[in-house]
Amino acid sequence: MARIFISCRHAHRLISGECDHALRWHQRVVLRLHLLGCDACSTVRRNFAFLSRATRRLGGNSDS
Amino acid sequence: MSMSLDQPGIPLASAAAGAAGDPLQRIGELQPTLLRLARLQLRNAAWAEDAVSETLVAAVEGLARFDRRSGLDTWVVGILKHKIIDQFRRAGREVSLDAQQELSDGEDLDDLFQADGHRVTQPVPWGDPEGSLNRVEFFAVLQTCLDDLPAPLARAFLLREWMDFDTAEICKEMQVTSSNCFVMLYRARMRLRECLESRWFASDGPHSNG
Repeated sequence: MARIFISCRHAHRLISGECDHALRWHQRVVLRLHLLGCDACSTVRRNFAFLSRATRRLGGNSDS
Repeated sequence: MSMSLDQPGIPLASAAAGAAGDPLQRIGELQPTLLRLARLQLRNAAWAEDAVSETLVAAVEGLARFDRRSGLDTWVVGILKHKIIDQFRRAGREVSLDAQQELSDGEDLDDLFQADGHRVTQPVPWGDPEGSLNRVEFFAVLQTCLDDLPAPLARAFLLREWMDFDTAEICKEMQVTSSNCFVMLYRARMRLRECLESRWFASDGPHSNG
């Protein structure tokens, strides 16, 4: 059986991965569970989303 | 504050639309901005100059077909993106070798984590970062952080976040496997996050008066 509880290191990789592609069902579930109990990873997730918006602006892309 | 497109680190979208006036002159004025963007993405001065030269020629030649509703700046940057991809393809072997080097020698930032995979230090809260998007100084810091990335990481990250490529396309351009592609994007985001945190969010940057 696949693991339910994941480390921050694993969560960080999934958080980066979800910026680039749809996570698999199991990945979504374990990440969601991890984020519920982890402020650090929730912060990093918001940071990655902001980084994406800021980079688009730097390059002259419209916000989206 | 009036913003000039020619300054480094100024987001293009915040500049005057450049709709008024002579479009030919405007294309000339965009040259430094195009060069800045091309250097950021290609990480090679000669390739960047080639891409920008080709863009300027194509823009001047295509001016008759330019649809004014799309905005001249946006249209010219769109041409630049195509020329950058042409340049990537011409430099394919070198881009691929750089990527292989990064993948074998680069760091996964594992020192941020303990042996059990939990973080050693907590990330500093960024408060409300949206206000930073209105600050010229913030974009100068972001540009510095992008410049500080190893070239393959910056290329992969900007192909994704600026050029809007999906990972399959990035893997193809950089000639790496998809799992290696994700590794590079992960490393780029982690390094950029650390860089912005230490150079902007943890310092006086967002709070001082611009």
